[in-house]
Amino acid sequence: MSNLEAILSRDAYLLSIEIRLFWLVALFYGICLILYIIHLITKKTGHGRIGTNILWLTAITHAGLILLRTFEGQRAPFQTLYESLSWFAWSASITYLYVERKWKDVYLAGILVSALSMGACFYALLTRSPAVEPLSPPLQSYWFEWHVILAFLSYAVFVVSCSIEISYLAVKPSVKKGLKLEYGLNMHNLETFHRQSFRLALFGFPLLTFGIFSGAAWANDAWGRYWGWDPKETWSLITWTVFAMYLHSMSIPKWKEMPASLLNILGFICMLMTFIGVNWLARLLGIPSLHLYAM
Amino acid sequence: MVRQAHHNIVTLSLSKGDVWKRLLPSNSVDLNPMAILKNIKDLNLQKIREAKLYRRFASLKTSIVLLGILVGFYILGTIFPQGGELEEYIEAGGRFASLVVFFNLLNIFTTPGFLITALLLFINLFICTIERLFVLLNQGIAKTEDLQFIPTHIFPLEINPHLEDALEGVREVFKKDLGFREQSSDPEMLDIGTDTKIIEKGWSYKWLTWIYHLSILFCFLGFFLTYLFSFEDEITLRPGEETIIKPAAISRWNRSWGRKPRELNFRLALQEFITEYNQLPALDYPGDKLSRLAVGMGWRDPKYLLKNESYFPKDWKSRLKVINLSPKSVIGEGNQAVLEKTIEVNDPLFYQGVTFYQAAYKQNLKIQVDDNPILLETETGKELIVPGIEGTFIFGTIRTGALFKRDGTIEKIRPFADVSFIKKDSAGKSEIEKLGKLEQDGSLVVDSRRISLKEFKEASILSYRYDPGVPILWWSGVFVLLAMSLRVFGAWYRIIYRIEERKGIPHLLLKIRIKGLMADEERLIHRLKYSLRKMTEPIDLDTPV
Ligand code: HEM
Repeated sequence: MSNLEAILSRDAYLLSIEIRLFWLVALFYGICLILYIIHLITKKTGHGRIGTNILWLTAITHAGLILLRTFEGQRAPFQTLYESLSWFAWSASITYLYVERKWKDVYLAGILVSALSMGACFYALLTRSPAVEPLSPPLQSYWFEWHVILAFLSYAVFVVSCSIEISYLAVKPSVKKGLKLEYGLNMHNLETFHRQSFRLALFGFPLLTFGIFSGAAWANDAWGRYWGWDPKETWSLITWTVFAMYLHSMSIPKWKEMPASLLNILGFICMLMTFIGVNWLARLLGIPSLHLYAM
Repeated sequence: MVRQAHHNIVTLSLSKGDVWKRLLPSNSVDLNPMAILKNIKDLNLQKIREAKLYRRFASLKTSIVLLGILVGFYILGTIFPQGGELEEYIEAGGRFASLVVFFNLLNIFTTPGFLITALLLFINLFICTIERLFVLLNQGIAKTEDLQFIPTHIFPLEINPHLEDALEGVREVFKKDLGFREQSSDPEMLDIGTDTKIIEKGWSYKWLTWIYHLSILFCFLGFFLTYLFSFEDEITLRPGEETIIKPAAISRWNRSWGRKPRELNFRLALQEFITEYNQLPALDYPGDKLSRLAVGMGWRDPKYLLKNESYFPKDWKSRLKVINLSPKSVIGEGNQAVLEKTIEVNDPLFYQGVTFYQAAYKQNLKIQVDDNPILLETETGKELIVPGIEGTFIFGTIRTGALFKRDGTIEKIRPFADVSFIKKDSAGKSEIEKLGKLEQDGSLVVDSRRISLKEFKEASILSYRYDPGVPILWWSGVFVLLAMSLRVFGAWYRIIYRIEERKGIPHLLLKIRIKGLMADEERLIHRLKYSLRKMTEPIDLDTPV
């Protein structure tokens, strides 16, 4: 066997392990989702707790998966949509697990997070090529790398923020009625729980700002224009603007409640549009988008 | 009554006009901020600041509404292909053609509606920034909640029966142990008494917030500069060629003055054009979902196949030389080469405000049919009709230059192109047939005719752009990011405290405000308790009341 062939068969072997592990991780996100849904229906803490324990296990395995991919590609594993979806799923889960530690037995927000992590993994596995390919010249840029890492990290943080917001809105009426504990929440901890969603959005905002800034810096180097109003760019700007509206409305007493909550959820929807909706919308309307080929 | 007025100063300097009158030293002539503010007042700006329209523009609600309207424009901009032609749009199945024309939806970001909204937001931000500056220079405390001193924590200081000692001890604890600094602002103005202290720790979040809002303002300026003054065009150069640069495009500003494009005062020469490729073995991996599941289950293995390898673009580069035509040229003398640089995608050449980018390249080739001495000329990617052969040829990109192989070796590529042949069947449907690789000086046989690639020439396509908005945008972007990150990720604490005697024992009463995700109130209280305990040993005062 020639040297080249030996390298290729090693590459293929690593890839096969990676793919199997990725399927396993996706499946486990699914199991977490089911457990969280059972928790939602039965209101029993036990299911939620098992869900979270499994989610920890999954996230740790997933971290190993990302490291394996780094080793395979000998570069940062964030550059194709296949890779960034994986990074998105992992960072959403780990962010969720990190903030969840602080509350005792509050698992509601896990539903949306595990659903999206699972969705992102399956989407990558079923529709994207897992080949570790070299990058085309426009993508060979540090700006691009950081652009993807931080933009997707901000998306992950916004997912958790929105999950908390929705959970809060869902349990608020019944919790406010009495002192009863609903899904681990009561009059005492409900507002602290809600505040977490603001803190996360606040955390994500500079990251998204950097994501857009680095995207512009990269486009300026690669295409000679920092902004081209292509749908993907524009949707990221929409997401950014909606979150700016959200953060602002949090400092207006009258808008702090419902309007702000809706803006947070709207921001999340825009974020979804940015990284999958755009391609769909573009196809629907027959719009050429620069970003389509990049992904 | 006077105190009441002070209230206004701190709470509502955004809304009550005559606050300033009380604030300003009556006969001061120096240049301190207060004096400047007085001058502003003398200019009658005060009236303007009280005007209803102005107040509206100083309002945060207005910003939210304007941002919302902008979002509406953005969404329209993603639904209608920006910069597209109406015919293309209709051809691609686009509806609402008359609306598109009426509202100029294919260029929505240059419509007056959009530009005016952006301008209004700019004015809004500008006014907010100025107003905020007044508040900050004034004394940095502007929220009603700061005005009443309602302590959130109370600690008895039992070891120090003397108020004075306790005061000094607590000051030391805050300063030395916890790293707080004293605020210069005058507590009297806060209606909280002279014995009340305000101390702070960390970067002032208000100034940070102000700085990034100001920087956003400068970003807007950058956008406006780009909008008004930028232009871009393209040049195509063959290796060895030299050209003057005369843009066909002109900036909006110059166009509106009826000016014509001007030649730039330097020339550009292309010394060499280089292409590089990566060897890309094909991955044998299924596309359909069930087979992919099979790979996931380990029933099938993915394989890299060298047989179907392709050449994946690694880089394309142009070695450029700038020749300055200006006699005053600093770097070179007269008509001499002044600068050489190899540019590539993501690494442009910046010269005299103009940036040159490696945009693309073009290949022309000459084809010989059998032994015909007259060669056919064509370009890669374009259709070529060969007399006597029914159908058209398409020559793919000629791979030439260096090949970087997966095992780390580098090979010189023998130039070749992939050739396809398009034939119409009897029903008029075209069929594409891949004929295979055609190497330089090699040949392919089609319909018993021999097609050979005799010669090819490459040309580098460079786009260039003049955009004075970029530097200002770059620097203000950096400031936005820095200030915003410090504000959001950092930690800022403010403590308002007082020592009071209650039942003969001094008590420390305090109120804490925190900002920034790293700020941790519990930890601060914990450390404070620890330090106070050290100071007041041996008496235990575990829980604050
Ligand atoms: C493109 C426009 C803008 C962006 C991206 C933006 C961004 C932000 C962000 C992210 C925050 C929240 C951070 C924090 O809580 O400190 C904030 C707060 C704030 N913004 Fe803006 N802003 C914009 C325009 C404006 C305008 C036009 C005004 C003036 C009305 C304004 C006034 C404020 C105020 C008063 C706060 C609260 C600061 C505080 O908590 O002390 N902003 N802005």
